[in-house]
Amino acid sequence: MLPGGVFNTKYESDMAIFRTKTHWLMLAVLLAFVFTFPLHGSDYWLSWFIRVFVTIVVVLGLHILTGLCGQVSIGHAAFLGVGAYTVAILTTKYDWNGWVCLPLSMLAAGVVGLIFGLPCFRLRLFYLAIATMAASSIIKWCFQHFEGVTGGFIGLSLEPLTLGGKELISRGSMFFLCGIMVVVVTFLVKNIQRSSTGRAFIAIRDNELAAEVSGIPIFRYKMYAFFIGCLFAGLAGWLWAYTQLRVNPEQFSMLDSMWYLGMIIIGGWGSVTGVFFGVVFLRVLEVIITDHLAPYLADTFPSIAMQIHISLSLILWGLVIVLFMMFQQRGLYYLLEKAKIYYRLHPYSYWG
Amino acid sequence: MDTALSAIVEGLLRGGVYALIALGVVVVFKASKVLNLMVGGLMVFFTFLLWWLAEEKDLPVGAAVVLTFIAAVAVGLFIYRFLMQPVIGATMLVTFIMTIVLGLSVILGISMLWFGGSAQVMPSIFRPTGNLDWGGVTFPRLYLVSFIVATGMFLLFVAYFRYTKTGLLMRCVSEDNIISQSLGINVKRIYAIAWIVGCLSAAIGGILMGSMSAVSTDMGFFAMARALPVLLLGGLESLPGAYIGAMIIGVAESLGSTYIDPHVTGFSELLPFILMLTILLIRPQGLFGLKIIRRI
Repeated sequence: MLPGGVFNTKYESDMAIFRTKTHWLMLAVLLAFVFTFPLHGSDYWLSWFIRVFVTIVVVLGLHILTGLCGQVSIGHAAFLGVGAYTVAILTTKYDWNGWVCLPLSMLAAGVVGLIFGLPCFRLRLFYLAIATMAASSIIKWCFQHFEGVTGGFIGLSLEPLTLGGKELISRGSMFFLCGIMVVVVTFLVKNIQRSSTGRAFIAIRDNELAAEVSGIPIFRYKMYAFFIGCLFAGLAGWLWAYTQLRVNPEQFSMLDSMWYLGMIIIGGWGSVTGVFFGVVFLRVLEVIITDHLAPYLADTFPSIAMQIHISLSLILWGLVIVLFMMFQQRGLYYLLEKAKIYYRLHPYSYWG
Repeated sequence: MDTALSAIVEGLLRGGVYALIALGVVVVFKASKVLNLMVGGLMVFFTFLLWWLAEEKDLPVGAAVVLTFIAAVAVGLFIYRFLMQPVIGATMLVTFIMTIVLGLSVILGISMLWFGGSAQVMPSIFRPTGNLDWGGVTFPRLYLVSFIVATGMFLLFVAYFRYTKTGLLMRCVSEDNIISQSLGINVKRIYAIAWIVGCLSAAIGGILMGSMSAVSTDMGFFAMARALPVLLLGGLESLPGAYIGAMIIGVAESLGSTYIDPHVTGFSELLPFILMLTILLIRPQGLFGLKIIRRI
């Protein structure tokens, strides 16, 4: 819904990602804030931002697959792992340049995604979700047991990425790299969403039968969704490998896939802004829990301090997702929209 | 030859326990169309509860078992009333995500917080232990007992659904809950019973599985990795399908661990999933599931 007095007079303005001058201004302020952050921010918050950026990239991939196309995947962390392991193996075992590995790890994750997306030809809903869970287990098993290549349970350590002879090892440089990737991926996803492909995805999500009858080749578009979603997961995996400089199978568990799905839910289905909300919300919650709540509780109940540190984030993250599912299924983005409509029609607001 | 036979027998015996775990999920799914992915977390919780009552609180094992069952009924009622009733009529996706998040994070986290995260040894309920030898086929006595208990419970539940009035009503509700409600059936009560059965079978399955190995939080993932292939293999709606699927998975797993594991380490963990994917690609509704025909 547009503000009062603003009308779309051309098709282009209707389709534009940023429709008003205020949007552009807000974007500029946000980008300026984010990209000057390394100048004044502490290392702690820099690494927090890096985590958020990598998560946003992978959740944007999942957003295409689940939020737009409606194919629930609880194996996305494994596809992230495929990307991370591709770059780790190619750089450590074969001495390839890290930058050459970027498209390769994206492609590897995409192809693996295509293989495990094949069952969507015949399976739907539960069956497909469980099939992706199986995919996640199979991929993780491969990480653990092909010791010669993947380093088994210990995993692999990477050399830092180099750019023009300089090593990108400081937090600030990784921050810029991840930040640029987030901007690029967001732009791509926004564009996919408003193209005919994106509309086909949404049609499949809303009613598969109607989409099929309208002439959308369902299987092909579902495969597109799997491929694109896993492509971004691979990109995120590449970033992950270089931010952690270490990959091991435990980093890509099914629990992480579940959190990614939870972020989409908390943010709101089918909206890129929602993805940002969801990721930031859960990551802020993580900071609150692990750095403030858990130490406080551990001090209060010293006899079970260990258990509090392990289980508190599990319980609270899970509860937050469950509460959102029960009471606010359309997520934070919907709340924002509601607030916007309320203030736009301020004295005469109404909703049912 | 004897190793093969032993492996098959052991697989069948383990399959009985998988069947019991799968039963709880099938019953809930048939009644309310909710895929109960909480089963892994619930198993961990009840098994730890039994261990805690028997070892930490020094109760006799029998009393601990009874208390665990009472807790299972209470937890089933709680889950239904406060978590599932508010989302009746929501899309399958909502309940799917709710149950998986509850099972793998909330309930698991609570069990870690309450009972400590470390693995424990189950108090021995079934005595005597040791191996049985039937004409060259050896297997742990515990497996046989577990199989008998699991199959007995399975048959008991199946008989309950087939021959009692509640069972009849339950089959009614699983056909169509709206028509059932307009015919005067108390649908909410049926849902509650389904959840109680789901929790009870998770508790019994967990206790049996905990007796076979150790009580640990990994059991949740392990149970999911076995119960879900069993379910999808047999078809989500079918009780006999769940039993046969469990036998297939059990035998495949134990043959795999006898013959493939020496060459490829840990391959038997993967076998249920591979079997499931292959069968789903050939028969998407599982071996005995209902084929849903889409009408325009």
